[in-house]
Amino acid sequence: MKTIRHLKIAGAALAVGLLAQTALSGVAQAQDREALMKEHSGGTMMLGAVSAAGTIDPHVNYTAEFWQVFQILYDGLVKFKQASRAEGYEIVPDLAEAIPEPQDGGKTYVFKLRDGIKFADGTDMTAEDVVASFQRIFKINGPTSGSFYNNIVGADKCLAESKSCTLEGGIVADEAAGTVTFHLVAPDSEFFDKLAVPHASILPAETAATDAGTSYIPGTGAYMIESYDPNDKMVMKRNPAFSEWSVDAQPQGYPDEIVYRFGMNEESMINAIQNGQLDWMFDPPPADRLNELGTQYADQVHVNPLAAFWYAPMNTNLAPFDNVKVRQAVNYAIDRNALVNIYGGPVLAQPTCQILPPEFPGFEASCLYTENPGTTWSAPDMEKAKQLVEESGTAGQKVTVVSEDTATSRAIGTYLQSVLAELGYDATMQAISPNIQFTYIQNTDNNVQISVSQWFMDYPQASNFLNVLLSCASFNEGSDASINIAGYCNEDIDAKMTEAMQTAVTDPESANKLWAEIDKAFMEQAPVAPLFTPKNVDFTSKRVGNFIFSNQFRWLIDQSWVQ
Amino acid sequence: MTDAALTVNPAEPKPRVGQSPMRRAWLILSRDKAAIGAFVVLMVIVLACLAAPLYAKYVAKSDPFRSNLSGSIEIDGKAEKIMQASTTGLGLGVTPIGPTWHGQYMLGADNQGRDVAARLLYGGRNSLLISSAATLICLVLAATIGISAGFFGGWVDMVLSRILEVLWAFPVYLLAISLSIVLLSQTIVLGPIEISSGSLALPIVIIGIIFVPYIARPVRGRVLSLRESEFVLAARGLGIPRWRILIKDILPNVTTTLIVYIPIMMALNIVTESALSFLSIGVQPPEASWGTIIQDGQGLLYTRPMVALAPGIAIVLTVLALNVLGDSVRDALDPRTKMR
Amino acid sequence: MIFFATPGSDPAARIAGRNAAQETVQAIRKDFGFDKPLPVQYAIMMKKLFVTRDLTSFVNRGLEVVPQVMRAAPITLSLVFGAAVLWVFGSIAVGVLAAMYRDTVIDKGLMILALIGVSMPVFWLGELMNLVSQSRFHDTWLFSWVPGLGYKPFFDGPWMWFKTLVIPWFTLAALYIGIYGRVLRANLVEAYQEDYVRTARAKGLSPGRVMLRHALRMSMIPFVTMFGLDFGVLVGGAALLTEVVFGLNGVGRLTYQAMLNLDLPMILATVMYASFFVVVTNAIVDIIYVVIDPRVRGH
Repeated sequence: MKTIRHLKIAGAALAVGLLAQTALSGVAQAQDREALMKEHSGGTMMLGAVSAAGTIDPHVNYTAEFWQVFQILYDGLVKFKQASRAEGYEIVPDLAEAIPEPQDGGKTYVFKLRDGIKFADGTDMTAEDVVASFQRIFKINGPTSGSFYNNIVGADKCLAESKSCTLEGGIVADEAAGTVTFHLVAPDSEFFDKLAVPHASILPAETAATDAGTSYIPGTGAYMIESYDPNDKMVMKRNPAFSEWSVDAQPQGYPDEIVYRFGMNEESMINAIQNGQLDWMFDPPPADRLNELGTQYADQVHVNPLAAFWYAPMNTNLAPFDNVKVRQAVNYAIDRNALVNIYGGPVLAQPTCQILPPEFPGFEASCLYTENPGTTWSAPDMEKAKQLVEESGTAGQKVTVVSEDTATSRAIGTYLQSVLAELGYDATMQAISPNIQFTYIQNTDNNVQISVSQWFMDYPQASNFLNVLLSCASFNEGSDASINIAGYCNEDIDAKMTEAMQTAVTDPESANKLWAEIDKAFMEQAPVAPLFTPKNVDFTSKRVGNFIFSNQFRWLIDQSWVQ
Repeated sequence: MTDAALTVNPAEPKPRVGQSPMRRAWLILSRDKAAIGAFVVLMVIVLACLAAPLYAKYVAKSDPFRSNLSGSIEIDGKAEKIMQASTTGLGLGVTPIGPTWHGQYMLGADNQGRDVAARLLYGGRNSLLISSAATLICLVLAATIGISAGFFGGWVDMVLSRILEVLWAFPVYLLAISLSIVLLSQTIVLGPIEISSGSLALPIVIIGIIFVPYIARPVRGRVLSLRESEFVLAARGLGIPRWRILIKDILPNVTTTLIVYIPIMMALNIVTESALSFLSIGVQPPEASWGTIIQDGQGLLYTRPMVALAPGIAIVLTVLALNVLGDSVRDALDPRTKMR
Repeated sequence: MIFFATPGSDPAARIAGRNAAQETVQAIRKDFGFDKPLPVQYAIMMKKLFVTRDLTSFVNRGLEVVPQVMRAAPITLSLVFGAAVLWVFGSIAVGVLAAMYRDTVIDKGLMILALIGVSMPVFWLGELMNLVSQSRFHDTWLFSWVPGLGYKPFFDGPWMWFKTLVIPWFTLAALYIGIYGRVLRANLVEAYQEDYVRTARAKGLSPGRVMLRHALRMSMIPFVTMFGLDFGVLVGGAALLTEVVFGLNGVGRLTYQAMLNLDLPMILATVMYASFFVVVTNAIVDIIYVVIDPRVRGH
């Protein structure tokens, strides 16, 4: 199961090809790297973002913006490989020497820790730190403590009473042997993925069990944070205690210093990158600058796919979307090319009418809601949509689209409102602050009928889309934390998803076949209207070299050089 | 931010002789060239906005409330796409059609491919409607509060004046923003009336309320001084009931004060409405107003500045005309009231 | 505080993050005291704001609000102070010139300009300035000196600070030059009719001297009242539209963002800050009265 994890990603042939290539060129690459390191090491890299992403506690922060930064600051027992594109989905041993074989039918894993790894404050990383770090996830009520790590033995007690969490019987350290043993309640095909995300970073055992907020917790990464002010900047320097142990997991970086500035707006960051005052910006470039970038700065623009989708969840418990015909009608009526245009054109987005993104485990191209149903979307079928609405007898009802108050989301919401109006509804649109919209649309008390949302994967597993977004367990009435925004609960599909997750423990390939079926089964019921798969645009300054984009955590910041 | 714009010195009461003040004011206004010019400009704008559906149907030939992202139009025999994807370099970005200076898409399209000129007229309807309705609400409320405080005095005056002072010290825009944010996220149910979040009633009520202190205070001052004036004292001495004094003597005088405020309030309300809509907490889509169009244009400033320019010019023209008119009305009706 | 009762704003769920388990949300609710009655929550927040000064944001975990406001304040002060200098001198110039050349072309022209200043929405004027200085004419000699949007601290280089703020200053000041110029002109014209000015003129003083020494002095009293009110409110956050358009992270923008995010602690802190400045400027205005108004000084 561990050795061929990436087989699930891009199909056997491609993965084998990648493997062979890596093996053959391994030695040569190491030499190249040394030479490159000598030539390009040093300098200060300047990054920018409109706003900081809050706390820098890796156990708490749950944002793409800082997860990307955590890659060079922290390590887990295992980690996603710091490599290009789909290779970035691969899981490699990090603080552990190797990825352990499952024991006890997949319920026990024994990790052997590497020797001689130090935290940035100079102390040694030990088995005790590992246990303490996992306890801390529960003690501070980490955002994923109940969803990612609830399968560890003893987690139920920790969730009920977080302050006294011990995870007794769940995680056992053997200081002398340098091993940590995990006991799971049930076999979990996604166990390593969950250990590879920043929430499972290993921190010093003495770290306080409160959100660190704006102060730095020493990590094991190649860099450390020297200062952080969310309204000004984050300064990262080389970690003096760091010496490279795995190029795949935590490679040495090129720049000596990385400064992340916050508070500039997109327009001024674009100008600054063009003038060479800034090397990269986190936020997507504003729509009216794209053409300029694509023509005058083509060699500084990097377009890469994202494992994500923009979609419109429809509340299956509220009229008119409690009627499957209406949901299907919406799916038929949406001109996904129009939405692609809103997002910046065909280079930056791809129409989709299914839940799993392309090249993702479990993805099988299929489109039910298009002029000629088949594998891809071609054109909207307005006639069919209108006919379905007529059959449902819901025309004329009031419908409100709730979007985020950002340029793109507002534009998409406005478009959906226009489509709904064309279908005969009395449609309005409401834009809510991005910080609030996501929880607002989840709470059934707010009676949101249809909304604009997007989902970016946490780790490359089909369940991270299908099970997270549409399982019965993800639907909590009256709660702001109810990620099944459509409120759709289908016992049959739920059972199938459980089956797929069980199958994945031993046979990922058949599991992915099941996931593809599940994807289709959901789309037949259409609790959501998938809109498009976005692409990531990175705009870098002229001096940035060696731009590597991993599908998992995007641009590998420290693997690029500035001189 | 324009708090000071409304500060008016409570003028001393003065008994009027001869012609009725309204009649005299009318005569003065009809000879005032600036006033007539401003009035004509305003009327043109109002009529153009009222004709919005006709413009959309016969000139723009498209529905300005429907996204038109895949369509194309014919200009001088050539077909042009409304949303033009970049074809050079990496082919990033899609730009809406620019000003064609023909009937269709005269001022270009916004990022939904909608005709900006047609939306400008429809938006003007909302901007004008909101500002007039809000002015009405504001004046009625301010008159009620100001007259109650001034006429009844005592603890009524105490309480009302304190409330007005507190509101006065709070930045108007922040007040409006907090009200909008809270009200926008819920549907308000007042007995049988249900105001949904997208309703125009919300900005009308919010804008109507926030400027009440600025009018109520001078009204109160006016009533206070009227109450002590000779003719009211004389009337009271004659044993005329208070309500009659209120209706016959005080109300007409206050009305003159209020009329002076109408154009200036409308001007102020248009600006406030556009500011709220610009921050996307005023008029909600699909409805348009000049403020929302400026907001749409903000994202196109580099490629299609006309989307933001046109509604701004419309606002400046309207507000300017209203202010000129306001000056003239004030001079004509109440020469001693100094406008700030 | 109306914000307490707003739906869709369960801070616990937002702090917990996306896809959080119900247990986690519950634990956070208890941890942060969101399960307590509202008045108690309010009291706790006020205590944290004033006594321990460690009140943290609901949206950005661990972000203390007091330092945030302290950091935003110099930006707003820089903006409003510069604009105030401009509008005081600008409007005095406009008012005095117009009053001296009353009913001439100069007067009419200035008054029309002032009226246009009053009529322009400040955010639109700001965008127009951005369009001209950042995009359309940025490459010409006229605007090539204009730096990118955003604030540069004064102590990092006064010249840069000045350059980033010049355009925002003019944008913010335009409206007030218009209002104040008009008021001042009206007051001056009226003061000219007053006895003491007539006396001064009868004594043979030059018109310019009369204007500056006597008429202007009296006309400054209502001017100062208005100024105090406007300055206090602007420093308190009312300059938010200018701040938003020019990407200045001042108090106005902070307040606006906090309100959008329903970030209660931040709203509390900014509102307290705003009231503070309104009170302070009122006090300063009272002092200035004493200085310029002989009648007040006499008593």
